[in-house]
Amino acid sequence: MEISFVRIDDRLIHGQVATVWVKETKCNKIIAVSDEVAADTLRKTLLLQVSPPGIKAYVVTIDKAIEAYNNPKYADFKTLFLFTNPTDVLRVVEGGVPFKSVNVGGMCYKEGKTQITGAVSVDKQDVDAFRKLHEKGIELEIRKVASDPKVNLISKIQDL
Amino acid sequence: MIGVIVGTHGKFSEELLRSTSMVFGELENVAGVTFEPGESVNGLVDKFKAALDTIDWSDGLIFLVDLFGGSPYNAASRIAANYENMDIVSGVNLPMIVDVMVNRSTEQLGDLADLAIRAGQDSMKSFRSIKNSQTEEEL
Repeated sequence: MEISFVRIDDRLIHGQVATVWVKETKCNKIIAVSDEVAADTLRKTLLLQVSPPGIKAYVVTIDKAIEAYNNPKYADFKTLFLFTNPTDVLRVVEGGVPFKSVNVGGMCYKEGKTQITGAVSVDKQDVDAFRKLHEKGIELEIRKVASDPKVNLISKIQDL
Repeated sequence: MIGVIVGTHGKFSEELLRSTSMVFGELENVAGVTFEPGESVNGLVDKFKAALDTIDWSDGLIFLVDLFGGSPYNAASRIAANYENMDIVSGVNLPMIVDVMVNRSTEQLGDLADLAIRAGQDSMKSFRSIKNSQTEEEL
């Protein structure tokens, strides 16, 4: 399996963003990775519905994502991986999936989170996970849409 | 990059472009033209021409307008009729504009017009009917 792109966006596939990113990243499959969403029939149904035409989408648990990455049956997959949070990304990386770069698109504000850009808010758990990903040499860049300039996430969480 | 002018009844075009930038990001080589109550089609032709002056259309230009046969369509036709590298697509909606933004740097004008129409049509779906026909494939 080829890793086309890795994105954290707590809305996962939404609107035409998936279409724009799909074109930009030239993927042919979308795998949304979340234990929570994989167990939620309605959210899962919606995600599968809104995947762009011609692109097969899957919603899987973290364990399943690691297993699928290592399965030679999926050698022709050019996959856009979607996550809702960095802790899940870390778990997949620790499971042996070699992400080189992670795009952070949207993590909405909730009470107890710190807003670091217009579209990205983080809590302590997120910061810890991002730091560990950074220590592994993985690029962490904030961009909402493909044409935005890349913002280095680590520089934004230094003082948190 | 093919230039884009969105023309509609009322301020719809301006708002459509604002909404497009929410999805796509900053827009370049794009203009919006509004047709306000009481304006003449001649006036609208002038507004389109003024918009055209702000755009680089050396690779072609596509007008995206709301109603087929409406005043924005008619006014755009009067301009497009004089140039080979212009086309007009009616029925503009947000998915259509986003798709045009995504593809206008790599496609030729004729293909872009086809893609725009397909994107507009393909975006119309019923939740219920998809849900009833959906089959899930496991990894």
